[in-house]
Amino acid sequence: MTISKSIKRTDAREKIRGEAQYIGDMSFDNPLYLKTVRSTRPHAKILDIHLPDLPEGCFIIDKSHIPGKNRMRTVVSDHPILAEDEVLYIGQPILLVAGPSRELVYQISEKIRIDYEDLPAVFTLEESEKQNCVFTEYSFSKGEPDTAFAQAARIIEDEYRTGLQEHVYLEPQGMAAEVKDDTVFVYGSMQCPFYVEDALTEALGRPSDKIRVVQTTTGGAFGGKEEFPSLIACHTAIAALATHHPVFLIYDRDEDIICSTKRHPSIIRYKAGLDDNNRVTVLDIDLLYDAGAYCGLSPVVLQRGIFSATNVYNFHHLKVHGRNFRTHTVPSGAFRGFGAPQSIFGTEMLMHNIAVSLGLDPLEFKMKHILKQGDPSCTGGKIHDKVILPELVERALDLSDYRQKIQKKKKFAGVGISLFLHGCGFTGNGEQLIKGKIILRKSKDRVVLKISSVEMGQGADTVLRKIVAHTLDLPIEKVTCEIRDTGLVPDSGPTVASRTTMIVGGLLKTAADEMKSRWNEAEDFEISKVYHHPDFLTWDNDTFQGNAYPTYSWGVNVAEITIDPVTYDIHIEKVTGVYDVGRAIDERALRGQMEGGIAQGAGWATLEVMKSKEGKLVQHNLTDYKVPTSMDVPEITCDFIDNPYEFGPFGAKCAGELPMSGAPPAVVAAISNALGIPLKEIPVTPEMLMELERHED
Amino acid sequence: MVDAYRPKTLSEALKIRNETDCLPIAGGTDLMVQKARGTGLGPGFEKPLLFVGHLPELQRIEKKEGYIHIGPAVLLSELLHNPLIPDTFKKAVALMASPPSRNLATLGGNICNASPAGDTLPFLYAADAELLLENHAFERRMAIEDFITGPKQTDMKPDELLTDIIIPDMDFPVTYYKKVGQRRGMSLTKASFHGLADVLDGYVEDLRMAFGSVAPTVVRSRDIENSLIGESVNSLKNRYQEILELYEPLIQPIDDARSTAKYRKNVCFNMLKDFLNHLEKNQGDII
Amino acid sequence: MKIEFILNGETQTIDVHPARRLLDILREDFHLTAVKEGCGEGECGACVVLMDGKAVNSCLIPAGYLEGKSILTPEGFKETPRGQILEEAFIEAGAVQCGFCTPGFIMAAESLLNENPNPTNAQIREGLSGNLCRCTGYQMIFKAVRLAIEKGEGLW
Repeated sequence: MTISKSIKRTDAREKIRGEAQYIGDMSFDNPLYLKTVRSTRPHAKILDIHLPDLPEGCFIIDKSHIPGKNRMRTVVSDHPILAEDEVLYIGQPILLVAGPSRELVYQISEKIRIDYEDLPAVFTLEESEKQNCVFTEYSFSKGEPDTAFAQAARIIEDEYRTGLQEHVYLEPQGMAAEVKDDTVFVYGSMQCPFYVEDALTEALGRPSDKIRVVQTTTGGAFGGKEEFPSLIACHTAIAALATHHPVFLIYDRDEDIICSTKRHPSIIRYKAGLDDNNRVTVLDIDLLYDAGAYCGLSPVVLQRGIFSATNVYNFHHLKVHGRNFRTHTVPSGAFRGFGAPQSIFGTEMLMHNIAVSLGLDPLEFKMKHILKQGDPSCTGGKIHDKVILPELVERALDLSDYRQKIQKKKKFAGVGISLFLHGCGFTGNGEQLIKGKIILRKSKDRVVLKISSVEMGQGADTVLRKIVAHTLDLPIEKVTCEIRDTGLVPDSGPTVASRTTMIVGGLLKTAADEMKSRWNEAEDFEISKVYHHPDFLTWDNDTFQGNAYPTYSWGVNVAEITIDPVTYDIHIEKVTGVYDVGRAIDERALRGQMEGGIAQGAGWATLEVMKSKEGKLVQHNLTDYKVPTSMDVPEITCDFIDNPYEFGPFGAKCAGELPMSGAPPAVVAAISNALGIPLKEIPVTPEMLMELERHED
Repeated sequence: MVDAYRPKTLSEALKIRNETDCLPIAGGTDLMVQKARGTGLGPGFEKPLLFVGHLPELQRIEKKEGYIHIGPAVLLSELLHNPLIPDTFKKAVALMASPPSRNLATLGGNICNASPAGDTLPFLYAADAELLLENHAFERRMAIEDFITGPKQTDMKPDELLTDIIIPDMDFPVTYYKKVGQRRGMSLTKASFHGLADVLDGYVEDLRMAFGSVAPTVVRSRDIENSLIGESVNSLKNRYQEILELYEPLIQPIDDARSTAKYRKNVCFNMLKDFLNHLEKNQGDII
Repeated sequence: MKIEFILNGETQTIDVHPARRLLDILREDFHLTAVKEGCGEGECGACVVLMDGKAVNSCLIPAGYLEGKSILTPEGFKETPRGQILEEAFIEAGAVQCGFCTPGFIMAAESLLNENPNPTNAQIREGLSGNLCRCTGYQMIFKAVRLAIEKGEGLW
């Protein structure tokens, strides 16, 4: 049996039966409910807080209750756990109300009055650029861009934009905390138990051995439960310590949308130099990402954005400049693709629009520029592995009948193609810094995986157990995962960056191979492994030179759409995706990631309009913010071509984030093809199309 | 304060209505969301609730003397399955909310909620629907456009209940419905258009056009319609620009979280044009 | 307000505020936590239960509406023959990822098949359109419903 052959998901049955325990399903003895009192101003000084008389058993928790440092620890720890003298966005947490019933807590929080003095606020990327409110700024280059521009036969300048996106994990954010024997236990929905533990050690000013973070069944995350849960974990832990009660903090959907992180909106400016043969020889890319009110992990989002900005192409001369800007809006954060879908959208559409404007076939034009094995990446790191993008393209063309369809074009119907990649694992030297650790424990004829990488819907439990079971020739039932409790498992790193299968799975595979050779030992034993970065990879984090990623996964999407000539409603009829993810550990689980990613990407590109007006989100509930339903998703066809990666388990590379970058440019190219107009901004809405068409007329 | 009343009969309900300032609630799909306060709290209603959804008197669908009578507590999903309900109306109802919500929401609720985006309303306006309002002593029958006085506003008196929705049983050979939503499934309406017509030998015998979601209430102009009845469908096509100009002052949409005023206006004109073109083809319906 | 209704086949009498949401009654008063809250406004379908055999959003139902109704939650449905078929079909098709939407989808699928035992693909899409899933892109959920129809021949 090959590893790729699908097995039943290990957690499906209990989820179907409704027996899986999400945080909101847990119960505690005499819990207090928490409610967060939030800023109603985009930027203001807090002058005074008027509190009502508190009934017996109710509490108000503010910054003074924080035992340690009042900052949520992440890449840049600038977000106060509870506001100090100033608030920087609508929705920023100021106080917590705790009480024995939700009704009491609600009544108290309704009576709290806060006096503010409004301060000047910046709401848009453009304003922020004008005022130079830069959080972080990076640049790098390749070749001799200035000379290349001077020699270019043609120069094209263009600008692309992408909008806010909300994760809409079906389970809203939630956390609970209790103190038992001087140890603080925090339970909740999260991707990164050790991020939460780190944040708690700092906020509580206590050592990690007095803190236990336990992940509960997590109802979707998509990056939205990467860093944000650290904030509410701190809220619950501080409240549990202050009140001496177990506390619950479960967000309603509206609250979740208003205050949780979003995908960074972006503006990406290009200047391309072409030679006489219509080849792009030089590209200048200027990326502006809206980080929102606090910096948080925006620097690393921007890094992935700039290192992905050349997408699958080899531009010989290059200038890349990226900046994160502050606006007084809800902070942006991690979201599937982590900065890459924005820059890949921009670059794919730039290539498409250049080709169309020159009367060239977009696919042929793109293929002239693609990276090959041995080429330098945008940061000069050699592409070590075989690049099978041409095979992926051929397969996608065959499966979708693209050639036929692009030639027999009908009015108001279009087809578009996108090529894309995803850098596997952490950016730059991230994996070396975090040094993921795993433990594999043999106990009689059973094996336990001890890892902090979580199951959040993506299938990690099934896939990681399968890697070990397959290596040891054991039935999957004999291989289980330890609860993700920071007191019980080592830090295998956060469940992010599409690193779980390749990096953590790779460590488990190595350990399982070793366990196999020792299987007949009489005593139970443990094997632990720590990540070691392959020696041939280089990275200089000051100059951004070398291998920004150990390897890449690749994909091709073909989208077919129709447009209603009366309403300009866009209907995505079909998306075909062909991918190189090394090798599938479980084909159905992988297909599930690709199909879900296509739906989420297509949603971002068309339906998911989210705007903020003077710092306030216009669409802040699921009535107004629209994600695709079963009637909106296209028919999806996926296929995979094996291209095993030497350093991945069974040849596996990264997968989960890859599809997020593919659907948007394919869908938008198809819309552009249908109407014969260039498109440079997502979401593409009927409103936008009607406006553009009227201008064309 | 009494939190709620659950009468057994309509007359009992009307008696409560007469004696108490209360809020009638049928399916609750709008009210429960409008007044929601979050998990575990229950919505915050300012008045006692008067449950009426279960009253058998309000659940009938029947044909009498050239009219279809629909009880206001009839569920949207029941409309879809009843042979007395015109197909073109079913098309509008089938695109409302979602299957689980349609198993709760009622026709009377959609009318009394009086949202400019209420999807049953354009058809009811176009079909000359009338409403029966009753209090403990009297009843009055009025046209739907007289009942809905503004966004979320109706002429219902504090002692009244909506007790019947009355639609003339007419057969329109040409029907047209289009809903412009935010997406295909489970979507609120940005703009909608319901057109009904009767065409004989190339001449317009009857014509009704109603626009939803593009003004404080549904837009239907009998004056404009009357000016077009008797014309040939060919001439209507040529007068398209003129017809648009007649509707122009009536269609006054807004910018909101779901769309823009400009788009809504343009899409209305496109739907109108499409409908007029459709008349030329003479028969059948379109969605 | 005193309310008598049938919950998973048993008659229950409760005394609650008439506006209390069925969702809260199920999750908090009866600890039936297979019913999930994803939005509280009828938009996500995670709280779908059956009322007199039809899918409804339990977040939109005030207690006062419940009198005399029969409510079936995933807890009451999972051991029935049709519940078992749907369970196997959802597993086999790969229709489950994060699982938060799944019990609601199972109930929506039951309601759909009750009404129409042989839906077309378009009818399956329409029938499930009140339930959001953000993980799967829905394809495997459609497949699961088709599989359940095959496996459960004659059951609906």
